[in-house]
Amino acid sequence: MKKKNLFSRMCGWVRRAFFGGSRDLANSIDVEEVVTPIQQIIRNFLERRLAVGALCVVIGMFLLVFIGPLFMPRYYDSYTEVTQKNVAPTMSMMKVPSELKNDIKMIDSYGSFSVGLSNAGKVYVWGATQLGTTGIDIGEIPEAVLNDKIAYVAAGIDHIIAISETGKVYGWGSNKHGQYVTTDKEVLEMLEEAEESVSDEEAALLEEAGVSAAEESSTEGEEGAEGEEVAEAAEEAVEEVKEMDKSVSTGENIIPMPTELVTGTIDVANIKKLVCGYQCTAILMNDGKLYIWGNMNAYQNISSFVDKEGLVDIDFTLNYIVGLTEQGTSIFTGKRGLYDQYRSNINTSAKASKKFLNGRKITSIYATNNHLCGLLDDGSLFFAGNFPSDSVPMPKLHDGETIKQIGAGTYHYTALTSEGRVLSWGGSTLGQIDVPDTVNGKTDKVLVGSFQNYAVDANNALVDKWGLKGYLFGTDGYGADILQRIIQGGKMTMTIGAVAVIISTIIGIIVGCLSGYFGGAVDIILMRVAEIFAAIPFLPFALILSAIMAQMDISENEKIFILMAILGILTWTGLARMVRGQVLVARENEYVTAAKAMGVREGRIAFRHILPNIVSIIFVTLTLDFATCMLTESSLSYLGFGVTYPRPTWGNMLNGANNSTIIKNYWWQWVFTSIFLAVTCICINIVGDTLRDVMDPKSDRDK
Amino acid sequence: MGKYILKRIGYMLAVLVVLSFILFLIYNLVPNNRAYTDAKAEMTTQKTRLRNATAEEKEKMFEDLYVEYQRKYGTDTKNMVVKYLRWVGFMPNYYGEYSGLVQGDFGYSYEFKDDVIDVVKEPMKNTVFINIFATILALGITIPLGIVCAVKKGSKGDQVMQVVTIIGYSLPSFVTAILFVWIFCSLLGWFPPSGMKTPGSNYTGWKWFTDRMYYMALPLITMTFCSLGSMTRYVRASMIDALSLDCIRTARAKGVTEKAVIYSHAWRNALIPIVTLVVGWFLGIFGGSLMFENIFGINGMGKLMISSLRTQDFDVVVLLQLFYVAISLIGNLIIDIVYGLVDPRVRVSA
Repeated sequence: MKKKNLFSRMCGWVRRAFFGGSRDLANSIDVEEVVTPIQQIIRNFLERRLAVGALCVVIGMFLLVFIGPLFMPRYYDSYTEVTQKNVAPTMSMMKVPSELKNDIKMIDSYGSFSVGLSNAGKVYVWGATQLGTTGIDIGEIPEAVLNDKIAYVAAGIDHIIAISETGKVYGWGSNKHGQYVTTDKEVLEMLEEAEESVSDEEAALLEEAGVSAAEESSTEGEEGAEGEEVAEAAEEAVEEVKEMDKSVSTGENIIPMPTELVTGTIDVANIKKLVCGYQCTAILMNDGKLYIWGNMNAYQNISSFVDKEGLVDIDFTLNYIVGLTEQGTSIFTGKRGLYDQYRSNINTSAKASKKFLNGRKITSIYATNNHLCGLLDDGSLFFAGNFPSDSVPMPKLHDGETIKQIGAGTYHYTALTSEGRVLSWGGSTLGQIDVPDTVNGKTDKVLVGSFQNYAVDANNALVDKWGLKGYLFGTDGYGADILQRIIQGGKMTMTIGAVAVIISTIIGIIVGCLSGYFGGAVDIILMRVAEIFAAIPFLPFALILSAIMAQMDISENEKIFILMAILGILTWTGLARMVRGQVLVARENEYVTAAKAMGVREGRIAFRHILPNIVSIIFVTLTLDFATCMLTESSLSYLGFGVTYPRPTWGNMLNGANNSTIIKNYWWQWVFTSIFLAVTCICINIVGDTLRDVMDPKSDRDK
Repeated sequence: MGKYILKRIGYMLAVLVVLSFILFLIYNLVPNNRAYTDAKAEMTTQKTRLRNATAEEKEKMFEDLYVEYQRKYGTDTKNMVVKYLRWVGFMPNYYGEYSGLVQGDFGYSYEFKDDVIDVVKEPMKNTVFINIFATILALGITIPLGIVCAVKKGSKGDQVMQVVTIIGYSLPSFVTAILFVWIFCSLLGWFPPSGMKTPGSNYTGWKWFTDRMYYMALPLITMTFCSLGSMTRYVRASMIDALSLDCIRTARAKGVTEKAVIYSHAWRNALIPIVTLVVGWFLGIFGGSLMFENIFGINGMGKLMISSLRTQDFDVVVLLQLFYVAISLIGNLIIDIVYGLVDPRVRVSA
């Protein structure tokens, strides 16, 4: 009895004196509350913190994968993006360094990182700077560049070119495909180090993993005879340079950087444009002279541009180089029929170039990865190329409003109008055209990266930025966001697991009940069938079935359903046996005898009287089987026999992580998926185990 | 006892027949036709001779060849049962020859240009080797661990082990494998990530063995680790059951030392379920090693099976599948017999 203080004792006396002592008596007797078994189970379950935590995680996962997809309207399974392949987890793609924020001269990006230049001539690099395929960190700007005053910068997919005010051309990043040639000791050392860290064999594997854009582009179209001659000439030049400078590691199909740029300087005042493409670079001079070098495989029409004179503008799409001649009547590509259908907006119909221009002149061109836009001398715009169906058309300009400045990203355009409005249109998949309202009227210049936009005011300070911030979990070998695929993949994995478990539970319950309740011949036959199924080696059998299914001419959805059925049919035996055992025990109970005496039908007794009494056990098995089915599906998909790409599941997302170099260099491609899969399975198992413990009245959990 | 064993063997054979028939039916779903392929191949070898033949003649010749090969392989009938019996070797083909599984004709691998039986030999050896090795390792760790957990049930150590083992058996084996490759190959650089031996080496004797073990170490560690979780839990559970038996209380009451109680009284009682599980689990890892063989590039049955499935070399697949089925059935038979030996009640009721 607790010792009470004097005051409460007094109160007690008074109360008892007037109201009697029944209440105190009731309190002092420890009456055990009567609870139903379900309540008892819930109570016991809630006492276990680990299990409750696990349950919360499981529910959280469910919500994530089933509600998450609603928030990703732009997601689709077969999404690929060449310039965003194997990007490490980062959210810094749009994070302009604070020193640069108030003094922006230019910003450029092509792939996963951006390079910026301040008016003071300082270079800054941000974004995902680790180039996975080469082991190079492009964010390590060479000392020579940092110490020099830079006038121009441009970024390619894995290299950066900078030109100093004195005319020296710097390059850093990867130079495996002739992106640049350098004599800078520091850069050479960096390359060597990277070379050491990634041995040749590993590099080959990595190259394979990241399907190179060059391969893709080389399958399209054929080269003209004229082009070949030039290519030969270029190859000879390659040989020369190779002898001269050994820093170019491979000589296959590259156009080398002009030697006068490697050793000498360039006339900076005369530079009109510096632009980088996939693995190529072009410098256009005011007098029409063009320096161009890089990977020939990436751009099939590059040979038409070597020694080309008289261009006034140049830009890179993904597969082609586009130029503008002085006449301004058409876009020069070195190929007939390429980009010669113009339209006034993305969603309008195209016309032949001559008819469309009708005497007007093209003054400048801006190319995205698969289409381009040009500015005409009357201030209007035209578009050419293939526009994906989800491209957003250009917003209408007000009367008398003209485009003041325009820039092209990887799939979108951003323009500044004479009224100070900022407009973005084109590809919208990564949020690159969601212009904030704050920039209108304050902007003096818009700078466009690959998927990022920066609005800069008259004082060269950053007003606002919009576009792709980065990927929380990085991207996979196809350039798709791993977080989104994890959510979609989880939906698929869990659906398959759940349906498979439901199928197996239904079969298991029916067979178990029938077998246990009727006994005799039914029991013997059903149990023999169950044993045959149990004797089937699970994984090999599932493999052979899915391999055969893969050859059949059926749709993807049907395949997935058959997969669920296979998993369900191969796993019911355990449950059937357990149900049978439980039914055998329950059959002897009095209430069954009573039901029989009342003349209840046998089937009704089995399913309505006995089944509810063994529901708890079924529930536990169901939980544990769910985890097993998820694991099996993942294993099958991991081996390439379950659900196949492009449909994501947690299993086939790990498919790529089957060699040590990818495991090491692209860690984000397996770590996050593994964590989701493992945590889900572990938590489901913990919940199931705990349920089994708390449901078993015999389990002595107090011990 | 003899009658019991005979009964089980008879039953096992019946299941084998049913399963092999199912397998055969599935195998026939595959649009892979050996007679057709061979007839086509023969046509191409005789191309020069057939240069002047008309299309009709060629057609005719191909038909004849096709029928001939069908007769040879016993597929010249639509009757599945007849086909099956010929495949097994219980019925003669058109020419009165018996050539089936019973006669040792397991088919031909188009991928390896060799009889299936020769293709399968080497991988089978490797698989059996790593599986037995992994089993020994796993049992050596899990049994003592399980016993200690059961004896010290509820202690801090036991609770930690409960969580660790639940993680162990919930982790997909391939995730564990990826994790281990990352830790031991990429970070620490202790083991090679894949392969069977140093490329280009031709060691013999002791050197061969150490080289082999160097390459096998990581797969073995991973396999052992993957089986730790579930086995430890089984051992612990059955040991706990055994420790709560009346005979244990009696033994303790008599003043038998705790050591003797645990290792001689309780352990023997716990052994019955464990033996079943060990056998069953040993069979399970044959299927499970499929995963590891593929990840670590071990030339085993699982790898062969996957590659054959990819190249649609179905004769190989069927033989491997039959092997897996046979292993599993033999395992069940062993379990039954052991049960019968240890527990007389089973014999009586069966």
